Amino acid sequence: METFLNGLWKQNPSFVQVLGMCPTLAVTNSVRNAIAMGIATLFVLVCSNALISMVRKLVPKEVRIATYILIIATFVTIVEYMIKAISVPVYKALGAFIALIVVNCIILGRAEAFASKNGVFRSILDGLGMGLGFSFALLCLASVREILGAGTFLGYPLFGPNFQPWVLFLLPSGGFFTLGAWLLLFSAWKQRGKEAAA
Amino acid sequence: MIRIMGIVSLVCGLLIVTAHRGTLEPIRRNQELIMQETVAQLLPGVAKQVTYAASADGELKVWNEPEPPPQRIIAGYDSSGALIGVVLQAAERGYADMIVGMYAYSPAKQAVIGFKVVEMKETPGLGDKISTDPRFLSNFRELDATHPIVTVKSGTKKNAWEVDAISGATISSRAVGRMLQKSTQQMAPVIARNRARLEKGE
Repeated sequence: METFLNGLWKQNPSFVQVLGMCPTLAVTNSVRNAIAMGIATLFVLVCSNALISMVRKLVPKEVRIATYILIIATFVTIVEYMIKAISVPVYKALGAFIALIVVNCIILGRAEAFASKNGVFRSILDGLGMGLGFSFALLCLASVREILGAGTFLGYPLFGPNFQPWVLFLLPSGGFFTLGAWLLLFSAWKQRGKEAAA
Repeated sequence: MIRIMGIVSLVCGLLIVTAHRGTLEPIRRNQELIMQETVAQLLPGVAKQVTYAASADGELKVWNEPEPPPQRIIAGYDSSGALIGVVLQAAERGYADMIVGMYAYSPAKQAVIGFKVVEMKETPGLGDKISTDPRFLSNFRELDATHPIVTVKSGTKKNAWEVDAISGATISSRAVGRMLQKSTQQMAPVIARNRARLEKGE
């Protein structure tokens, strides 16, 4: 259980480890894109962690990174086909960022740091925790950006016709501001927890 | 080492092929559905759609293959079988990346009668207005294609072949104008030559 919770909260890949920033900033201009990217990354993390853990004792050390990338790229290709089959608009909205999951350092990081040293069950739990933690972070960012930048949530309007959208939040600079605010909030939260425990 | 790499590659290859075969039909169905919806939006009242392929020599042939042809023209007919117009795809480089659009062309009016962006990565809130701004989209109700289409500064449109740009999204607006200008210059003669065939739906 601790393995699972680590990724979700204590070692959250976005808010604590500050990994995978490229998709975090790029696809969070709408909640729908964030959910799709979160699920896609979760799927790749769980499947690649499971397969890497299965073959960890067979793969020679010299070629382990090449093998991990091959496995990760396989699951990214599969998830790309699946998104295209489920929703073409989401596939088009995410664009190259689906293929770029291959180079997301969270996935290769978990393969090298965890799946290559642990059993299949624990690796799957780690993938689930990290994937859900990443999805949670994407959702946090996308909610703020879509609500302020477009006045909608999941495409549904939240405010009246007089609402003037704060377009800055849909632009890359708005992504940085939102990420900075969430990182500050997360750090303050953790700091307060530490002080309360001391 | 090579044996292990080979086995892992084989397993990965098999997984990819299985996923590809499993999703091939839903992907094709999705794309076809989107295409039909786009044609229905661009040509209101359409009851029947026929896909044509344009050959290199400018001849149109009815296309019944599952894979779309390289140069596709979709003709839309009303319930009485009369040709409403044809829908074509065009693309042009915008501010961020390629803008892919579909437009409806009326052979009778020799004009663009509808336009829809199907793919773009233009700046949210600025360039992406080319797909939502009603004033900009009203340019394509009857845009004269007998004259080369040009994009003009916002609020200065005087002629029927001019596209009134969006203020603050000039590059994206110009890209749309260029896309339509190039495509209509290339395809309007082909459509005119094959008009009788298109009207009969054969």
